[in-house]
Amino acid sequence: MTTPKYAIVGLGMVYGPYPEGVTARGAEAEAGRLAIADAGLRREDVDGALQLRRTAGGGERPAWADAFPRMLGLPFKFFFTVGRGGALAGLGIATAMGFLELGIAKYVLIVGGVEDFKNSRRTKAEGHRGMVHSEKAGYWGKPFGDLRAPSHHSFLAARHMYEYGTTSRQLGSIAVQERAWACKNPKAKMYGRPMTIEDHQNSPFVVEPYHLFDICLVSDGAVAFILTTAERAKDTAKKPIWVRGLGSGEIADSLWWEKKNYTHMAVKTAKEQAFGQAGIDLGDVDVAELYDCFTAEVLFQIEDYGWCKKGEGGPFVAEGHIGPGGDVPVNTSGGLLSAYHYGDLTCLSEAVMQLRGDAGERQVKGAEIALVTGHGGELISPGMCSIHTSLVLGV
Amino acid sequence: MSTYTKPLPNVDDDSRPQWEGFKQHKFLLFRCKKCGAWYWPKSFCRNHENAPMFGDLEWTEASGKGKVFAFNIHHMAFHPGFQPDIPYVYALVELDEGPLFGTNIVGIDPHQIKVGMAVEVSYDDITPEWTLPKFKPVGK
Repeated sequence: MTTPKYAIVGLGMVYGPYPEGVTARGAEAEAGRLAIADAGLRREDVDGALQLRRTAGGGERPAWADAFPRMLGLPFKFFFTVGRGGALAGLGIATAMGFLELGIAKYVLIVGGVEDFKNSRRTKAEGHRGMVHSEKAGYWGKPFGDLRAPSHHSFLAARHMYEYGTTSRQLGSIAVQERAWACKNPKAKMYGRPMTIEDHQNSPFVVEPYHLFDICLVSDGAVAFILTTAERAKDTAKKPIWVRGLGSGEIADSLWWEKKNYTHMAVKTAKEQAFGQAGIDLGDVDVAELYDCFTAEVLFQIEDYGWCKKGEGGPFVAEGHIGPGGDVPVNTSGGLLSAYHYGDLTCLSEAVMQLRGDAGERQVKGAEIALVTGHGGELISPGMCSIHTSLVLGV
Repeated sequence: MSTYTKPLPNVDDDSRPQWEGFKQHKFLLFRCKKCGAWYWPKSFCRNHENAPMFGDLEWTEASGKGKVFAFNIHHMAFHPGFQPDIPYVYALVELDEGPLFGTNIVGIDPHQIKVGMAVEVSYDDITPEWTLPKFKPVGK
């Protein structure tokens, strides 16, 4: 086990929808302000800033014409954009660690904000559906109707169903259990709206085999957090949340002729790296915040991390392990499926709240180790989502 | 003045020769001249060291045949141009040469499609400039 050298010392959340006149940029600045206050710091202390964006996956461009550090008035020595698909938190932390290690910064403010819900309302009026994407050069599938993430993510579910006999009801049980968590989170979009497996099965097909309730929300919101060194973490207002391990993998290392990359994610190397640094094994994980853009991604990770064998995830989740009261608490905020979709910042923010003991009715008692994962970003056409980041946080 | 309302292909210089092939109803894949391996999308050969700037490989006519590897059925149009096509099928076809290829399966009721079904290319000349390589069950 490596002694942790870096800690998260501040967290700021802005939950959408935004008030009239507030942009994602403004929400990012506000989340940053909240994170600085949460850490007991002043703006003058924050000398580095990173913006987290799905630059490669969703195709959004960095907002460099103007951005939250200027708006917030930080004396920053560096600012740029990091991110790949929904893998934001792990990449942001790895980047910030480099600047802290070099002594360029003392406190790095890492912020990601989205206005996907607002944008989706605008384009729906023009006949489109779903999250708005700007297109990457050479993107393959659009003329064939591969227009949104469900157009190709559903291949993962379809292929797992074909190879292992996984059913829609089994995938639906993931959505139902996450909804139960959301009903314990007053900030969740689906708070107060419990769901049964019949509700899942009766929800319309969007891209078969995916029903509407297999698919994550589209949200407005911003999350900010502050990373600093172990020495400085001792002086901040809140209990430090330590970065105990961080790993990364890419599924496109398994190429087309291996035909495996539609039934698993790039967990193996990422897990070995992160768990190795942290000196933990799977049984040490008290709470798992797994990137859940769709239900099958959760199923794959439950198998790939080893809570059950490959192919047995369907029956495993249907037994109810991952919901409230289960032995493997997964996505305790309600996740991207039922709480809010801030990329993997949904996962990271929930892990920090759980480890601080600030998670209210959904608190997992005695949570000391949290797993946070990220996923996304095409690397091979058609539509392979390839990155996997594995982050182990602890008290 | 075209009345075609769907998105047109997003072509860059890595994919342009293949799209020019489709226009001539030729199904081109990127092939290694040294060892015969087939690639899509364009890649260096994975089997040995490569000559500079893809010099060992060239766009080569392939069979245009394969088997359904995975498919889905779109019940909602994310873009208004696809509304008349609902429900339509987007699929991964495992080409006889090896690569997985993203395309539509046409000429069959979506719910009759099975993984492993033999399919072949079916060209759709959507505009005078563009042809889409869709796939249909063999012999249909």
